[in-house]
Amino acid sequence: MTLREKIAAGRFVVCGELGPPQSGDDEVIRKKAAYFRGIVDAVNITDNQTAIVRLSSIASAKILLEEGVEPICQMTCRDRNRIAMQSDLLGAAAMGIENVLCLTGDHQRFGDHPEARSVFDLDSVQLVATVNRMKEGYLLSGQEMKKKPDFFIGAAANPFAEPMEMRIIRLEKKITVGAQFIQTQPVFDLDRFAEWMRLVRSRGLHTQCAILAGMLPVRSARALDYMQREVPGMRIRPEYLQRMRDSATPQEEGVRIAVEIITTLRAMEGVRGVHLMPVMWESITPRIVEEAGLMR
Amino acid sequence: MDFITTEKKKYTQLEKRLSAVLLFIEDIIKIPLFRCQRCGECILSHTAFICSQRCPKRMRNGPCGGPGVDGSCEVYPDRKCVWIRIHRRARLLGRIALLRRVENIHDWNLEKTSAWWNVVTRRIEPPTLFIRKTKSEKQSHDAA
Repeated sequence: MTLREKIAAGRFVVCGELGPPQSGDDEVIRKKAAYFRGIVDAVNITDNQTAIVRLSSIASAKILLEEGVEPICQMTCRDRNRIAMQSDLLGAAAMGIENVLCLTGDHQRFGDHPEARSVFDLDSVQLVATVNRMKEGYLLSGQEMKKKPDFFIGAAANPFAEPMEMRIIRLEKKITVGAQFIQTQPVFDLDRFAEWMRLVRSRGLHTQCAILAGMLPVRSARALDYMQREVPGMRIRPEYLQRMRDSATPQEEGVRIAVEIITTLRAMEGVRGVHLMPVMWESITPRIVEEAGLMR
Repeated sequence: MDFITTEKKKYTQLEKRLSAVLLFIEDIIKIPLFRCQRCGECILSHTAFICSQRCPKRMRNGPCGGPGVDGSCEVYPDRKCVWIRIHRRARLLGRIALLRRVENIHDWNLEKTSAWWNVVTRRIEPPTLFIRKTKSEKQSHDAA
């Protein structure tokens, strides 16, 4: 069963996340694939995250497919204009990559090429619209395609950034133009997330798309502290920071926190799955999935 | 839904000149008042009269996921996120409904042309100057 079918069947899905290497070494991806095979339903492949050059997400997705793991290919608007984007999407479709997550992308100022020229020809809402249009069989130019690519369109949402009303408006826009699943920023503030979910439910948005809550397991207090300071749009409850600091075995504590949050998220109405994104700590994925009782 | 506009009339030589003259006047007004970025596809009226194109990512459909808890821009932390300012002003002016519109993909051919001329020639949509407040919106405004 594909991710799309599992969501349609009402299964609580689990997505992982894989950051491609900063080299052309496919072995790295094949090795990491073992952490996900048979454990998660699909794996996000980041597209040059934080604007640092990495192996292309579509190429990585193809390697994952070969390894028997379903990929979710992330697409950002930072590096490509509408021509390159559509061409890459067609390439993805040709290789059997159907899950696409449309993002605006981090600004290049955060990355290793801050002097680069950004593109931002489309924004994420318009990218979702573009992919949806391709799904209907047309390119942006109006050119009809003989074979329609059957994409499963995802988009991101950040329940933690201000202002809340604007967040819901943007989510609504993405759903109107064709987003079928939504992945959120990592949850480290359950109250705020619950409040956001309440607004989502009150507008009936959770019935129009599948909401997958983000979860980022951390292995040290320093990592959590860094995220709070440096990662834009994060909101972390101080109690988690304190727990990580106080713990003698921060890795264990990180897993405990992750499992706790997942358990709470799972009980929330309208949450259809979780998206685990242990940055540079992919190897922990199986353990968390197992301890959270989500093993298939 | 059609937010992707592909068929637009080409600029004739005469129009180019006219647009240049109009743009000169437009710039005098719009640059000091709104810090207009001259995109030629003006959506000022939808964004509570704050130019959204000042955003480093040139977002046309709302803020990215990055602004800090204090509302600062993720790229230039000493600036306020332009979309947060737009939202606040839209609330004040009762123009939230206009933020719900999905904005067209930008036509770069219109860059540095007169938005006014583009409205006259129907290349872009006319500005929405007045909107009627719906009941529910009045209530939500009062509640907030």
